[in-house]
Amino acid sequence: MTTTTATVPRTTPPLAPSTAAPARTHLALLVAVGLAALVGTVLVTVTIGPADLGVGEVARSIVAHVGLDVAPVAPLHDAIVWELRLPRVLTAAAVGAGLALAGAVMQSLTRNPLADPYLLGLSSGASLGAVAVLVVGVAVLLPVAAFVGAMAALVATLALARSGGMLTPGRTVLAGLAVSQLCAAGTSFVIFWTATGDSYREILSWLLGSLAGATWSSVAIAGGAVLVVGTLVVLAGVRLDAFAFGDTAAAALGVGVDRTRWTLMTLVALLTGAMVAVSGAIGFVGLVLPHAVGSLTGPAHRRLLPVAALAGAVFLVWADTLARTLFDPRELPVGIVTALIGVPVFAVLLRRGRGSAWT
Amino acid sequence: MDLTLSGVGTRLGGRWVVDGVDATPPPGRLTGLLGPNGAGKTTLLRLVAGLLTPERGAVLVGAGASAAPVAAMGRRERARRIALLEQESSSSVPLTVREVVALGRIPYRSLWGTDPDDEAVDRALHAADAAHLAGRAWSSLSGGERQRVHVARALAQEPELLLLDEPTNHLDVSAQLALLAFVRDLGTTTVAALHDLNLAAAFCEHVVVLSGGRLAAAGHPREVLRPALLREVYGVDADVLEHPRTGRPVIAFHEPAPRTAPAPVPAGEA
Repeated sequence: MTTTTATVPRTTPPLAPSTAAPARTHLALLVAVGLAALVGTVLVTVTIGPADLGVGEVARSIVAHVGLDVAPVAPLHDAIVWELRLPRVLTAAAVGAGLALAGAVMQSLTRNPLADPYLLGLSSGASLGAVAVLVVGVAVLLPVAAFVGAMAALVATLALARSGGMLTPGRTVLAGLAVSQLCAAGTSFVIFWTATGDSYREILSWLLGSLAGATWSSVAIAGGAVLVVGTLVVLAGVRLDAFAFGDTAAAALGVGVDRTRWTLMTLVALLTGAMVAVSGAIGFVGLVLPHAVGSLTGPAHRRLLPVAALAGAVFLVWADTLARTLFDPRELPVGIVTALIGVPVFAVLLRRGRGSAWT
Repeated sequence: MDLTLSGVGTRLGGRWVVDGVDATPPPGRLTGLLGPNGAGKTTLLRLVAGLLTPERGAVLVGAGASAAPVAAMGRRERARRIALLEQESSSSVPLTVREVVALGRIPYRSLWGTDPDDEAVDRALHAADAAHLAGRAWSSLSGGERQRVHVARALAQEPELLLLDEPTNHLDVSAQLALLAFVRDLGTTTVAALHDLNLAAAFCEHVVVLSGGRLAAAGHPREVLRPALLREVYGVDADVLEHPRTGRPVIAFHEPAPRTAPAPVPAGEA
């Protein structure tokens, strides 16, 4: 008898692991899984915390508020879901998606695996802009001021990094550090000078990020920005593929190099501004998620950007859930949780980059 | 594609790097762009590719009345008709070979980044004889394989004009011969900047020789690559022989003669 296993079809030829490229999972599947994970995450995390809530109750409360006729939920539980937790969870999802998108675009734009709105100073710039406007008392302009702050910080970081000629990853991060420290000092100073009550708590929530104050208007600002600006970012970001072999290669492929770069920088600053206006400067989401997702999607931006946004949303919702429940009733600024996860990733990337022309 | 350079010139940093160059590379054939380092070859290729706009003169594509300046073409249209392979082309992005070739489809992509022609990448991979590399990681390829994949990427643009900047750099002899034979036989108008004069003599239908940004000579290698021109442009002494099999010119260089040779001082007199 001959071996029957010989008839088993072999789908892929054996390749040495060093030369074989990773298989790319289908985009529609990744997006579907991401969306399902996001919906599940929202329903589950809203139940977590003091007060005994079930997923069914959460779903019924949401459906009732949307206007459909379902069995009513107890008023107290309904208020916890609809007034407290749901706005916070949805804000976290929108901010996570926005920061992950911003990070993914910045990494490609600056050809720097360490780029992130937090590390390059955009988030601190946005915080400073927001805080400065708060002092004047025109809260409507908060996202606009945050955008102006983020854009100014981005331009300052790039100008500082480029002053020596080449824009290397190491220089860019150092320049971002300088800009970010300056903006953080400015933010602290403004709050310290003007706040009447607990200024330290407020300083912390702007510098480390917090979603504790999230309301439905936060959901509107962050969610609106992710849907509108995020869509524009994905559309414009498709052109980032062309930059894989440098600016000249991109131009030869018919891409307007300067126009694409400035369009995307402005969009990233807008996105970061909107996110920081509602949550303060939450770090490392933009750094970690694009790398984690990149191994699944590959570097094509049409695939990478939407999946990174979904993953960022899920990630930040869970990080914020940890931040508010880990030491309950005390609450950690969510930036501490994201830093605990992000800094090891940063360290790995830094080690991996050794030996190349980074500094 | 018909290509006409008429009095093309441009300055970089105040200096005329390309200065009044006229040329008409033959359509469907391989043209060699020759000249010493700094003669303006790369800048001229960028002008022809439309990445730089000439300050003087024009690069015209198309025949007769339909000829239009490259500088006036839309970016996407230009990228669908002209492909450029740069001299040094590396990437730190973890791309597969198929993804690198798919970059050549960017000028054809829809708003959402999808390619209307699913088979174009496969056709380009096959045409460049790189299909067996499709699943490999770009970073794992050898120099010759990378150049082959770059050619596939350029072919995926379905260009009418192919521009190559020193495509044989860092390749071994057999890969150099294979690459130039391949582009010669493509039937696409191709302009390749080349350093190796013997490769140019063996494969090019037409050569354009630059010296200090100006046109030194243009024509068939047999007429252009003469000892007098080589001395004038490259400052070298050479004999031009005839290849025993192809009849094409073969250039044999001589050791440079000592220039202003002061008589060596005998050791004893010091």
